[in-house]
Amino acid sequence: MPYVIAEPCIDITDRSCMEECPVDCIYEGERKLYINPFECIDCGNCEPACPVEAITQDRRVPEEFAAFAEDNKRFFTDPLPGRDEPIGQPGGAMGFGPAGTDTELVAAYDPRA
Amino acid sequence: MSTSDQVVVDILIVGAGPTGLYGAYYAGFRGLSVAVVDSLPEPGGQINAMYPEKQIFDIAGFPSVRGRELVDRLLEQAAPFNPSYLLGHRAEVLERHATGFAVTTHEGVRIEAGAVIVTGGIGTFTPRPLPAAAGFEGNGLAYFVRRLDDYRGSDVVIVGGGDSAFDWAQALHPLAKSVTLVHRRDSFRAHPSTVDSVRAAGIEVLTNAQLSTVFGDGIIEGVEVTHGDNQVKTLPCQKIIAALGFTANLGPLLRWGIDVENKRHIPVAASMQTSVPGIFAAGDINDYPGKVRLIAVGFGEAATAVNNAAHHLDPAQPVFPGHSTDVPLAVV
Repeated sequence: MPYVIAEPCIDITDRSCMEECPVDCIYEGERKLYINPFECIDCGNCEPACPVEAITQDRRVPEEFAAFAEDNKRFFTDPLPGRDEPIGQPGGAMGFGPAGTDTELVAAYDPRA
Repeated sequence: MSTSDQVVVDILIVGAGPTGLYGAYYAGFRGLSVAVVDSLPEPGGQINAMYPEKQIFDIAGFPSVRGRELVDRLLEQAAPFNPSYLLGHRAEVLERHATGFAVTTHEGVRIEAGAVIVTGGIGTFTPRPLPAAAGFEGNGLAYFVRRLDDYRGSDVVIVGGGDSAFDWAQALHPLAKSVTLVHRRDSFRAHPSTVDSVRAAGIEVLTNAQLSTVFGDGIIEGVEVTHGDNQVKTLPCQKIIAALGFTANLGPLLRWGIDVENKRHIPVAASMQTSVPGIFAAGDINDYPGKVRLIAVGFGEAATAVNNAAHHLDPAQPVFPGHSTDVPLAVV
């Protein structure tokens, strides 16, 4: 039931959404931000904060970005490039800090012009 | 509302959101005395803090109900049983003793209870800080409006774009000398009709704006707002209200000796009991396989928790409470 960040965030990472999230569940990758689906409470505060409209509910992701719903989850459940363990549920992004890496889907995008 | 330094009850409910308020009713219905503690100064939990103006469509028996109205009705439902409300009190320390528990709030009030029901949702809400005004807390900077009259005749600057910011702008406009709303974006989280009525009332709304400087020595004398394309505006101001939303975390609850998963959820059995006998958890904060986080589910869990707590307090009492429609037993 969580919110999801899609392609428009790549190489933008404005972070306004992180300031709005009441449970601090938006984590920073290298080129994109990711919402932890196990920690998100579905409040929707992040959605209007995003200047590039990258955020939607997982059941309303635009069709061309459908893969990003699963991909947000993968950021937390799969070991990311350069990391041995999955991120899991750290209980808040502030204590965790930037992960410095991205999912394969995101890393494969060409840099935004 | 009890604010004495010592409260003694059968059941202490930690969290005054919808699940906790319904638990207060249910404890009363079972003939138990009850106290409800919450760190926010008003009841309603997430409803009040995040979506007081939204219509909710999945409450049994209400085809549609506004968040604020649901909270009022829950309070009304519990009122006949006179719950003690300790609002603006963060439940800080839990001690176990032979006959139950003692919880002390950050204000120093001690609550003795035979059983505790944690309905803490996503945890303790902390208002987001407004760094530019950091030194003025309690001296003109507030995160909540407690008494409208405190703002009479003042120049008030409200920072934020949610329902609370707009509600307070509307409420203070008739009695303040001036009200200016400052928001860092040009879109608002507040309900569009509230935004419209604030604008219609002639309240100045500065968008894409940040409160950059606060003037004053000890007390606030004025503020500088940067807005639009690096325009700077100086406003007379004696009172600032920072309505920037909240962050929440389980905070002190993590130190109560209850099992907690991932710093967010308390695992419970089907009776809603936590890893500590006598402490139960209901609503968004608990977890078990198949958990669904909805108010509707929290209500059911509150009833389950209270009835099991009643049995815990007095094993001679059945878990099943009887029906609310039963004719009361004649008093002999």
